[in-house]
Amino acid sequence: MKYTILNEAVGEVGTEFVPDDGINVEALIEGGFIKSTSKATKSDKTITDTNEE
Amino acid sequence: MASTSTFLSNAVVTINSVDLTGECSSANLTRTFDALESTNMSNTARTFVGGLENSSLVVDLYNSYAASQTYATLKSLVGTAVTVKIKPTSAATSATNPEHTLTGAFMGTLPLVVSSLGALDVCGGITFQGGVYSVATA
Repeated sequence: MKYTILNEAVGEVGTEFVPDDGINVEALIEGGFIKSTSKATKSDKTITDTNEE
Repeated sequence: MASTSTFLSNAVVTINSVDLTGECSSANLTRTFDALESTNMSNTARTFVGGLENSSLVVDLYNSYAASQTYATLKSLVGTAVTVKIKPTSAATSATNPEHTLTGAFMGTLPLVVSSLGALDVCGGITFQGGVYSVATA
C-alpha cells in the first residue's frame, strides 16, 4: 500500500509517505494528512478451456 | 554557573508522524523503570532492581478544530498505542540534538473542551504512557 502526503505537518506535500513502525495510518487518513494512492489490483484472468475433444 | 544549559525554544514534537510543534506549549518526556524491591536479610537499607520500563511523554497542546490540527490529529488516536517523538530543537538530529522516540505509547485520555472565558483552549496533560524508548543521534 502506498500513501501520498496531503499536509505539510507530515512532510512534503505530494511526496510518498512511508510509515514507520507503530504509526496509525488509518488515523492519518481520517485526519486528512495522507491518502492512499494504491490502485486496486486486478485479479488474475481465468482461462477457460472451451475446446471439447 | 552551569557550563551548559538548554532552554526550550523551538523543540519539535511529533505525534503519529504529525508535527504539532506549532500547537505545543509544554512537553515532558520522562524515562521511568519499575522499582522492584530486592531487600534481603543481609541488607541494612532497602535495595531495588530495575523492572519494566514505563516511560511517558506529557504534552500541553492548544486546541484547534481546524483541518489537520490538534483535534484532527488526536481524535482517532485516543485509546490506541502510537509513536511519539521529541527533540530539543528543529536543527538536524545529532548527538547534541537527540531525537527521543516512544514507540507504541498508549494515549489513554483526550480532553475535548477545556475552556476558560477569554483564554485559549488548552488540552493539558495529554499523556503517552509506556512504549519502547529509543534515541537517535544521527
